[in-house]
Amino acid sequence: MSNKPILNVYHPKLTAGLWLAGMLVICILGGQALTKDWLETGFLALLPTGEQQPEIAKATRQHNQLSNRKVIWLAGAAATSGEAIAHAQKLKQQLEQSKLFNKVVLEFSQQQYIRQYQQLFPYRYQLLDAQTQEVLVKKPEDLIQQNLEILNSPIGQMQAADLERDPSLIFSRYFNAQNPIKLNLEQGIVVLSDQHRFWALLLTDLQDEKLQLDKLETLASLVDSATEQVKAAGGELLVSGMALFTAHGAESAKQEISTVGIGSSIGIIVLLWATFRSVRPLLLSSLAIGSGLLAALVICVLFFGKIHILTLVFGASLIGVADDYAQHFLCDSFGEKDWNPRKGLKFILPGLTLGLASNLLSYAGLGFSPFPGLQEVALFSAIGLLVAWLTVVLLFPLLLTGFTFDHQPGILKLTTYWEERWPLWVSKNRRWLGLILAVFVAGGLWRLAPQDDVRLLQSPPAELLRTADKIRSLFPMSPDNQFFLVSGKDQTDWHQNEQTLLKRLDAVKQQKALIAYEGLSDYWPAVNQQQQNYQLLKHQLYDSGLLERYMTELGFDERAVQAELKQFAEAERNTLALPDWLATADESKRQLWMGCDSGCCQSTVTLIGISDAGALAALQDLPGVVWVDQVESVSALFARYRIRASGLLLVAFCLATLGLGYKFGWRNGATIMSVPVVALAVSLAMLGWFDQLFSLFNLFALLLVLGIGVDYGLFFFMAGDRRASTSLGVTLSALTTLLAFGLLATSSTEIVHAFGFTVTAGIVTALLCAPLIGLKVIYSPRRHEEKTQTSCLRGK
Amino acid sequence: MILIKALLLYCLAFSQGVAGEAVLTEIAARLAKTPITQGDFHQQKQLKVLRKPLISTGTFTYDQNKGVIWKTLTPVISLLLVNESKLLTGQGEQAVPAAFGKVFKAMLGGDLAALTDGFSVTGTDQKTSWQLELTPKDEMLKKIISTMVLSGDTELRDLEIRETGGNITRISFDHITHPAQLTDEQQADFERLSP
Repeated sequence: MSNKPILNVYHPKLTAGLWLAGMLVICILGGQALTKDWLETGFLALLPTGEQQPEIAKATRQHNQLSNRKVIWLAGAAATSGEAIAHAQKLKQQLEQSKLFNKVVLEFSQQQYIRQYQQLFPYRYQLLDAQTQEVLVKKPEDLIQQNLEILNSPIGQMQAADLERDPSLIFSRYFNAQNPIKLNLEQGIVVLSDQHRFWALLLTDLQDEKLQLDKLETLASLVDSATEQVKAAGGELLVSGMALFTAHGAESAKQEISTVGIGSSIGIIVLLWATFRSVRPLLLSSLAIGSGLLAALVICVLFFGKIHILTLVFGASLIGVADDYAQHFLCDSFGEKDWNPRKGLKFILPGLTLGLASNLLSYAGLGFSPFPGLQEVALFSAIGLLVAWLTVVLLFPLLLTGFTFDHQPGILKLTTYWEERWPLWVSKNRRWLGLILAVFVAGGLWRLAPQDDVRLLQSPPAELLRTADKIRSLFPMSPDNQFFLVSGKDQTDWHQNEQTLLKRLDAVKQQKALIAYEGLSDYWPAVNQQQQNYQLLKHQLYDSGLLERYMTELGFDERAVQAELKQFAEAERNTLALPDWLATADESKRQLWMGCDSGCCQSTVTLIGISDAGALAALQDLPGVVWVDQVESVSALFARYRIRASGLLLVAFCLATLGLGYKFGWRNGATIMSVPVVALAVSLAMLGWFDQLFSLFNLFALLLVLGIGVDYGLFFFMAGDRRASTSLGVTLSALTTLLAFGLLATSSTEIVHAFGFTVTAGIVTALLCAPLIGLKVIYSPRRHEEKTQTSCLRGK
Repeated sequence: MILIKALLLYCLAFSQGVAGEAVLTEIAARLAKTPITQGDFHQQKQLKVLRKPLISTGTFTYDQNKGVIWKTLTPVISLLLVNESKLLTGQGEQAVPAAFGKVFKAMLGGDLAALTDGFSVTGTDQKTSWQLELTPKDEMLKKIISTMVLSGDTELRDLEIRETGGNITRISFDHITHPAQLTDEQQADFERLSP
């Protein structure tokens, strides 16, 4: 023990002073860190970004940025569209008053439309849409036919009104093609309809992409009250947006934090009171847990900048784990008649330290995952446990001075009976118990099927999903999560690559695998293409005399014909650069352009209403095209890390075995390790038998089971003649840990539930197995080895 | 959302109105009300920029539940199908210009009261004929259309749309009948409108 000087130098006041200084520093740091906005609630924050290539990560960010702020509202009425509009107008006022949004759009203004029209008009001979190009190449007479059709149609007012400026209607064709999905407008408001209702559309942009918790709550209650009001007026309201999913997640996380936190705290208070019937242990335990949690929170916020609310859900479960150290110390006081803190510390310190080490090892495993959420959980838990341990080791000796017991707690009798009788019963019945265990484990493992789905991170209520689906079917305008990233070595190369992709996408669209797609190259022809467009018009329409004939027959006078020919001739050298085109476009189109950087130009192609992702993913073999499927790639990541985590578990297992084998001899090491082995096996089998989710996250939970299993095994192994107090300590700590993780298992979020369930099953098993260890040591034929250990541990 | 904005000018053809004036009820009472109305149309568009009007003729069919078939036969054959939520032309699916379907329904189906949603209405009702002048209430529609004049007897006979830019469209309806059933061809056309 020479490497642990604290054992030999016992200065309770000095160490307490150290602890106090440390906590002061934490408090000061916390005072700074926790006054900022430190709570993260968004679901995307949980996903790893480091694994992706930087340009894909950047494209994903840009792609998500706009959609994350959008909230879509549809006010519906059965009778008339006017009624739906009336609901929407009332709703608009309400939304504007809420101050949550920086944009609430009901009536769509013409201003930008007119501006864009004016800015692009001079380049009309260079800007042709794909359909016009095709008609011009194949049969320019058809273009004339189509024009006559449009002009004679009872709805051709706009084109007719513009005939003077745009006699061939090529610019109105180009403009129309910019808007692939046609929406119906009434009084400037988009009105959608299905079989039962008319729906008026309201689009809002939240002020902030990442809303703070209080704003999310305001949003959620705004949605609720608005829904009630529209309903009271006889209508129906549909609302959807990323923020609503976040709000729901944050709300359930908050509930879970309080369930787990309050549940664990009450459990600990009841247990401690029942055991010690004194206030001091209660206060000391709270102090250990409290300082652990505080330090964990402060250091996590300092380290990560922000901490996710889901981390706090796991953090709340730490209450039950951090309490272990305090309980072991306190329970040790039952072990001896003339107990004092100095003796107690000497006895429990090696066990506590090894326990801490194995727990830290498990949590370090979590930290190796690429998921920011798990990294936070790892650091939070590690710091929490470390500080709880430090509190026990540094502060308790002073505060436990003069701590004695003059009663035999009822629970001690129970645990003593437990540690004495249970092992005997097990060893008497070991044959058939072993058989049952083997069958149970084998059967459970047989039924185990891994599942890797990013959706496990978020479990929105079915109603929210139904509404989102309904809105998507009515208003298929919000881009899907998946998109293409298109690159080229320069603008021409990029343009060509994107055009190749878009042509293929058109075919996919014909097969109904998606509703719409949007790529810049359909709106902005590359510079060489602009010249080709001009030449195409020149040959097919202007030089051939076709346009002149058409205009004359339509009734234009000679002057107008000549003016048009002159304008066309003058426009020959016009070119529209991409930045100039982008300047006329709206936000959602501008966002498609990623820019040119060191010999690489990139854009994204967004997709709407995908029904067959496989058909789209197949297009990624095209030159310069990357298929970005965030959900799929994260799910694939889950699968990859599930396998890696299995390896990690194995490594942690081997390390623990090696460490214990080195310290206590191989045979004893194996004995101790049998506790976590059985716990792991049973835990896995339970997942199989109860058809529980088995994913990456369960493996991380198994890491904890390994750590805790080693703990319990160690405590009993090292108990020697203090088996009664050890079993009390282990049972108390197992009960509180069980409470914490059992409460986690009630979570509505799949991964949290899976975590809780796995750890709970593992701890119960470890608790059942641990008392068997001491038994073997006591009745071990190798008394000599045991003696040396005991003396070494007791420091005699 | 340029998409929506871009559609605006394109769509500003018709809208709806409020206030049921007495004359409207009187006229409406005289109009034949049947589920199906069909006939010929003669449309004349007078565009300022052109020296001669654009003239087209063809047939129309109105079905109370299904919408309108507008079949142009001269100078080019083309088909326009429209109901309250969908508009199909030779160029594919288009946005339905503001309540276009409803205005057609109101005019062709004799449900004049529906027009008051979006227009202020003045009118005269004489023994054999009537005339209505509609002025759009909608600010955006006002920018395009100054007035619409409807006239007829037991049927709507003439429709004149005067645009603010000076263009005028005149449509006259002829050979109006009210068959009890749609022909197979008409059925098939309407079928294309169903989602």
